[in-house]
Amino acid sequence: MKIISCIKPVPDPASRLVINESKTWIKDQDLTFVASEADNYALEEALRLKEKHGGEVVVISMGGEEAARVLRSGLAMGADRAIHLADPQFKGADEFAAAEALAKAIEKDGGADLVLTGVQSDDLGTGMTGVMLAEFLSFSHATVVVGVELTSDSKTLHVKRELEGGLNETVELSTPAVLTIQFGINQPRYASLKGIMAAKKKELKSWTCADLGLTAEQAGRAGAMYDVKEIFIPERKSRVEILTGTPEEAAAKLVEKLRKEAKVI
Amino acid sequence: MIFVIAEHKDGKLKPITNELLVFAQRAAKEFNQPVAAVALGDNLANISDELKAKKIDRVIVAENPALAEYDPASYVAALKQILAAEKPFLVIAGHTTQGFDFAPRLAVALRRPLIAGCVDFEKQGDKLILTRQIFNAKMNMKTAPRGDAPYLATASPGAFPGDEVEAGGNAEISKLSIQLEGIAKRKVIGRSEAQKGQADLTAAPVIVSGGRGLKQKENFQIIFDLAQAIGGSVGASRPVVDAEWLPREYQIGSSGQTVSPKLYIAIGISGAIQHLVGMQTSRCIVAINKDAEAPIFKIAHYGIVDDLFKVVPALTKIFNDLKAAG
Repeated sequence: MKIISCIKPVPDPASRLVINESKTWIKDQDLTFVASEADNYALEEALRLKEKHGGEVVVISMGGEEAARVLRSGLAMGADRAIHLADPQFKGADEFAAAEALAKAIEKDGGADLVLTGVQSDDLGTGMTGVMLAEFLSFSHATVVVGVELTSDSKTLHVKRELEGGLNETVELSTPAVLTIQFGINQPRYASLKGIMAAKKKELKSWTCADLGLTAEQAGRAGAMYDVKEIFIPERKSRVEILTGTPEEAAAKLVEKLRKEAKVI
Repeated sequence: MIFVIAEHKDGKLKPITNELLVFAQRAAKEFNQPVAAVALGDNLANISDELKAKKIDRVIVAENPALAEYDPASYVAALKQILAAEKPFLVIAGHTTQGFDFAPRLAVALRRPLIAGCVDFEKQGDKLILTRQIFNAKMNMKTAPRGDAPYLATASPGAFPGDEVEAGGNAEISKLSIQLEGIAKRKVIGRSEAQKGQADLTAAPVIVSGGRGLKQKENFQIIFDLAQAIGGSVGASRPVVDAEWLPREYQIGSSGQTVSPKLYIAIGISGAIQHLVGMQTSRCIVAINKDAEAPIFKIAHYGIVDDLFKVVPALTKIFNDLKAAG
């Protein structure tokens, strides 16, 4: 079974994010990038499926040097090879343009039985790309996946999806399929020293926009379906009363408020 | 025309549908467009009656046995047929495990823009601008969908006040017949409820809830200590459960339990919208967080912006002293 695991590089969650001058994105020149958190769960699930059923795991990412970095750590975690969509023309892609490029790359690589993505990214966070990718590839799909089981003939999947309000549903779908993997489905492994060494010998190929047969109009910002008008920090129309002082003073003020004003204890 | 894709279950509208209708009713006024609710399913008499009572212009009902149970392929096929016939300006679905499961496929199939997870909209000139949250609700992004309508949007649960939906319309009901033969369906083969077990928080009067700010599993003890001192129950945000510091049954939020205690103390929880929808109706909300910008402060009544590892033990001590003093 061939499993493709998509990884999006995002700013390290610990970074301080500053909006750029044109207010269209953050200042990302000096940030450290890591794999988007949910994508780690997706890769771990891909590796576990391979360990159980055999086959190969291919990691794919789009972007500059930051994408190459998350791919190398994916190889160190145990992926067999990597595809880097490296072209300045990919920059500024929205979910639609990213999904189209990923779909072209997956087709160029000979397709897949299973494509795994994180349920949503840590930056745009809309959970669209995986589902769009399924439509571009004409694969079946399932979102918010918390369990994957492959039937004995490897043609059918039983997939547990997490719904609202603590409910789950199990769905049956046929391969090839795209699954968007929910946080917490597994505990992602860390790369071992041996894994890091082995990764250096693994294949990491790099494709441009033209390699995928995409025109400049189809890729990156030009291929996006919307314009970013403005990014801003939302004004908090807050009712909050901030209690100040040393931790002890603030705690004492809070208890007083809860007893005398809110009367909840 | 502005379309709302109604979400329903067991012959009743889900609460998200009212939120979508509020979004649509407000957008309809700005853009001078009629509103139509679209219901897909089988045996939709109750649903169309419920929708008809809202202040909207049309109810479009597509009944087909293949739609009895939600499945993305059938939804996309049905909506493609309806949209081709009706040519709406805007199509609104919920940013739910149903909405974000089919809307992206529909957007690609139609090659039209989809703005997902919307929390607001506005009119700039004659253009529709949709606002959504990015970076886990730390920032908002205003977007302008490109090209011609229809534009697709999913609305974040909790972003529009469902209780403000206007009633009293006299909507015309149109029944559309759609073709769904030969569609490879995703079949639901089982349903289950996550265990509530020891931690049924829905009836707890006081909840002390911890988040990622606790940094590691062992530190969660200070949450249990405070809960015990105050006589409350312990809850957690999603990252805590994902990291296996606590079992899933402690989780509060859109994919966990929805609670409404008289006192909710959120400690080291930044307040992603998925968490807020699970606790925002609590009578009194306290937030303790180092980051003054954390969204949790937007809905809190009282806040302390400081190191939780200093504030929480101080609080616990006060409550223990009060108890000892009787």
